[in-house]
Amino acid sequence: MNNVKVDALVIGGGIAGMQAALDLGDQGYQVALVEKEPSIGGKMITLSKVFPTLDCCSCITTPKMSAVAHHPNIQMFTYCEVESVDQQENGFDVSVLQKPRYVNADTCTGCRLCEYACPITVPSSFDRGLGSYRTARVPFSTAVPQIAVLDIENCILCGKCEKVCPVGAIDFTQQPETFSIDTTSIVLATGFELTDLDAKNEYGAGELPNVIDPLMMERFLAPTGPYGRVLRPGDGMEPMTIAYVQCAGSRDETLGIEYCSRTCCMYAIKQSMLISGALPLAEVTIYYMDIRTFGKGYEQFYQNAKAMGVEFVRGKVAKITEDENHNPVVRVERTEEGDVVERTFDLVVLSLGMVAGDPLSKFGLTPAEDGYIKIPSVNASPCETRRPGIFVTGTAGGPMDIVDSIVTASAAASAASAYIRSKTQVGIEEREVAHV
Amino acid sequence: MTKLNISNEPKILILATLAGGYAGADSTGQSHVDYPANTYILPVMCPVMFPPEFFIRAYERGIDGIILMYSGTDSPYKVEAEGTAKLINATYALMKERGIDTRRLRLAAICTVCVKPFLKEVNNMHNLLKGIGFVKSELKSHPAPLQGAKS
Amino acid sequence: MSEKPKIAVYTCYCGGNISHTVKCEQVAKLLAEQPDVVVSRTNMSLCSDAGQSQIEEDIRELGVNRVVIGACAPSLHEQTFRKTVIRAGLNPYLYHHIGLREQDSWVHTCDADGATCKAVRLMAAGVAKARLLDPLEPIQLEAEKRALVIGGGVAGLRAALDIADQGLKVVLVEKTPFLGGRMAQLDTVFPTGEEAHILLADLIDKVVNHDKITIFTQTEVTKVSGYVGNYGIQLTQHSRGVSAENAKALQDACQQMVADEFNYGLTERKVIYQPYHGCYPPLPAVDWEHYNGEPININGKSEILKDEIQQFELSAGAVVVATGFDPYVPREGEYGYSELPQVVTLPQLIRHMALNPGAKSLEWQGHKVRDIVLIHCVGSREIEGIDEPQEDGQVNNYCSRVCCTATLHMIEELRENFPKLNIYDLYQDIRTYGRGHEDYYINALDNGTRFVRYHGEEKPKVFAAPKGDTHPVLVHVTDALTYNQELEIPVDLVVLATGMQPRQIDDLVKMLKVSRGNDRFLLEVHPKLRPVETAVNGVILAGTAQGPMNIQESISAASAAAAKVISLLGSGQVELQPFVAAVDPEKCNGTGACVEACEYEDAIALETFVEDGKEVTRAVVTPANCTGCGACVAVCPNRAIDVQGWTLAQYEAMVDAIAMDIVDLVEAG
Repeated sequence: MNNVKVDALVIGGGIAGMQAALDLGDQGYQVALVEKEPSIGGKMITLSKVFPTLDCCSCITTPKMSAVAHHPNIQMFTYCEVESVDQQENGFDVSVLQKPRYVNADTCTGCRLCEYACPITVPSSFDRGLGSYRTARVPFSTAVPQIAVLDIENCILCGKCEKVCPVGAIDFTQQPETFSIDTTSIVLATGFELTDLDAKNEYGAGELPNVIDPLMMERFLAPTGPYGRVLRPGDGMEPMTIAYVQCAGSRDETLGIEYCSRTCCMYAIKQSMLISGALPLAEVTIYYMDIRTFGKGYEQFYQNAKAMGVEFVRGKVAKITEDENHNPVVRVERTEEGDVVERTFDLVVLSLGMVAGDPLSKFGLTPAEDGYIKIPSVNASPCETRRPGIFVTGTAGGPMDIVDSIVTASAAASAASAYIRSKTQVGIEEREVAHV
Repeated sequence: MTKLNISNEPKILILATLAGGYAGADSTGQSHVDYPANTYILPVMCPVMFPPEFFIRAYERGIDGIILMYSGTDSPYKVEAEGTAKLINATYALMKERGIDTRRLRLAAICTVCVKPFLKEVNNMHNLLKGIGFVKSELKSHPAPLQGAKS
Repeated sequence: MSEKPKIAVYTCYCGGNISHTVKCEQVAKLLAEQPDVVVSRTNMSLCSDAGQSQIEEDIRELGVNRVVIGACAPSLHEQTFRKTVIRAGLNPYLYHHIGLREQDSWVHTCDADGATCKAVRLMAAGVAKARLLDPLEPIQLEAEKRALVIGGGVAGLRAALDIADQGLKVVLVEKTPFLGGRMAQLDTVFPTGEEAHILLADLIDKVVNHDKITIFTQTEVTKVSGYVGNYGIQLTQHSRGVSAENAKALQDACQQMVADEFNYGLTERKVIYQPYHGCYPPLPAVDWEHYNGEPININGKSEILKDEIQQFELSAGAVVVATGFDPYVPREGEYGYSELPQVVTLPQLIRHMALNPGAKSLEWQGHKVRDIVLIHCVGSREIEGIDEPQEDGQVNNYCSRVCCTATLHMIEELRENFPKLNIYDLYQDIRTYGRGHEDYYINALDNGTRFVRYHGEEKPKVFAAPKGDTHPVLVHVTDALTYNQELEIPVDLVVLATGMQPRQIDDLVKMLKVSRGNDRFLLEVHPKLRPVETAVNGVILAGTAQGPMNIQESISAASAAAAKVISLLGSGQVELQPFVAAVDPEKCNGTGACVEACEYEDAIALETFVEDGKEVTRAVVTPANCTGCGACVAVCPNRAIDVQGWTLAQYEAMVDAIAMDIVDLVEAG
């Protein structure tokens, strides 16, 4: 593969990375976008509808994905991982590993015949294990690029895909390849991971089949989801009583995560509203410490949910067990009533928090106490890291919601473009007369 | 495919400015409030472009009520407030001549977040038309075809 | 029109948003029956890459030359699909977009059949319009590579700097005589504890010394004309009233004192003033609003200060609105405010602390404060029907975002300086959401702060204590943390954590034609698609003019605004939509009715030509000056003029389609 030379390298193709790449591209800079998954879109593309507008998530994400793919100034590298970042005189030399798709990306048309022919079905990570997909597949229906990928770990090498491929794109001999990107600046948009479902023994340590994480609920609610409806994974029953346990992975000393994850209040409220639409008779209860609906239009959203009948109970959930029918039993100290009660639900959603995504060492950066990238001067340059020329955006710089991620992405683009210009600028035009 | 149940209700045409009523209708949609479905919203840049004959023609074709949702004095167009008022007055005169109930034409200032006023206008017109019925019954005589009008 | 229309129709499911109500398959099937329709499809999500590719393929493979799409509101994705059809080689204006979501599926959820019929008629109207569409070319204009930034607070400064760093010129205007805005009034900032004025001085220094930035203080925008790329701006500037030579003498001699708004009225200052040490510009200024016009005596001479108002005209390609917020001022009697001297706002306490550095004990009006209560959500999260509305009849039903952390930041400072102080924190929900913010809450819980949780429906009450009581003020509150126990807290000082209010900038809002949201802050196009842009092309938002934000968030928003300005003006060219009047020379016979009806300068004129040896007079439009209002269309007796893309004939065709009886169509289908 040829070496790539760009003004800015954006690492991570989620919503923040895409927005940063688009803004830099729109300003006329050459951009490379590296994404470790076979498609860009990040976590956002897996969501159902988004707060506070309740827009369908695809309708916000897919056009941005499409815009990235078609932008004349953006080169997209999917299924690639950054291996190392070396400081050069005027920028960075970044070594990138192209993971083998076992499909020729230049000839594949995304026709999915390989997918239909593949006999091996594995749990779909896109659907958080709730649905399944084939070993040879286009990652998901709205994936960008629409190029198949072959999951060699689970492949039995039967060759059926190879036989049906009309363009002969299947290539079992592909090897990982390394190439380098020469760039003036880097924007880190490596995103977040959800705290582990099994992190807390008190909450069943991930052993209870009807205690799920919020991204699973997103897949249940999404029109592109595996079932097209909400049901409980334990037995497929339609849940009539659903509980949300807030701060299940944040503001919790025992987990070592003392910070607030910022998004959980709003996504729990949003999901409750969507559940009311999908299952009109279902009752939703949210157990919370503080409701943090701080963003523009968020407080109204919360009040609407209350008016719709979502039950808000203040109290920290102490323990979750289950009865003989695998119905989760929630034990909670209700602070307003001053009692401890146990209540059985059909389904419990743990409002898990956010933890930092990719390790930082390969970028030559160290994390702050909370595990996220250290930002030395948040109130002066909120996108600058300790290494000049490396900027951070979105949830790589701490928990935040989509709205804030998009704004910080544009801000990071602005900071990166100022840096690029300072490195490449020649001459200064004449100054205007000042009238102070 | 299930058979579509077509209601026989009077039709309301809403000419809504992009800077006002059309955005207000979008805001109403974002609030997820239901209103009658016999409402057809067409975006317009500024309503001063419509000659009075346009409205008469619409009634003749079977539109039973028209609401002009404009931005009034907050419009990006200088002429919108005054020009539209003039236009509406001229149209009222023509409507009287033709025996059309002038309540079938409403001018309302609707802003981008006017959810309640939007709903009020739509529901008022809907209820009015339920009472006074289809415009066809009012059109007395056959007019001469409009100049340049498409047949 | 030369070619026969071949129309493709797409009905989008919008991931269920539309298809949950509208029977999209039925719509598509019925539309396929319409004349000139060559293909009618549905799609789960037409805006996805696959959906867009389908459109491109149809244009290329089927020779489609008109595209009609029924999907979400055109404000969201009309531009997306214009780009799609361009990629397939079709003129972007040969596509028409119909909003089936906001104006159909979302508002007729109880009437699926009605919504479906409505979709059929609207889509048929779209097809009727599409048949009459002509290819159009956008109007290319030279753009002024200069941005106007309104507001010299942290957001305006940051936006100005980021824009200028990309080589564009910036004019920064500030209404007051000094830069810095609300941030200058803070002492230390969370979550770092840095001193606000040091951070600000650094930023101001960069802005002031930037060769691309021109600063006007004491200046307001008084007129706006034009459009994106070429806004004509009139600035009105007050004079400083003093010069470097006479400033000190005049200030020393000045006797007139007024309340110092920099300290929220806690102190007084002269009418010739500098708000704080180290402010920029360093030269004092006259407070013209309060100056009583009396002569000031220096060196035996008496001098009357005169405000010489100057006006400047400039052109700018884009405008950044960074006008900031106003702190909420409680009503008289709200929690005892302005009735009891022991009730202050948090911004006032911040100034009080800043004015008394190193104090051994917290004192208020000469009395030592032993017990202090801080009340959250004052002027925020108000509830309709419970809280008294603001002057405009609305309640502030939004969260002000910064007050929780600001209050807990203050508590930390109080605890550090005055370890013996008894601190009560009365809150609804603690919203220390930001990175590093939760630590303030954890620390306050550890350092003996007593938290009391009240309900928004049942606010705390503040009374004067009976004479001879140990404390001057009593606070009554029902505590939801201790099973709704009724508490009476005797205190020396009540601090109201006041929220943010939108500023009174009605004139500016009108001039720029931007809109406000339900919360009265300035409204963005869409919180995710275009979060810092307004519906007015070229007018961009930065900072708290848009809604409550902390400093970090304001800076991010300002940098984001800068990115948009740079993208817009960087090339020196902007494109305007071609929706302007066009004359049909075949029909125009020069009546001049259009010229008379037109309200815009140099937009339309009668011109005389010689054609085939004969003199003919016709109307001629100057597209750059035409706004496309169509006043000329209604008055033309010959129907010789139309707004391109919005012609009268198109509307007539749409009306016919809406009026259409679809019973036959349905039965045929």
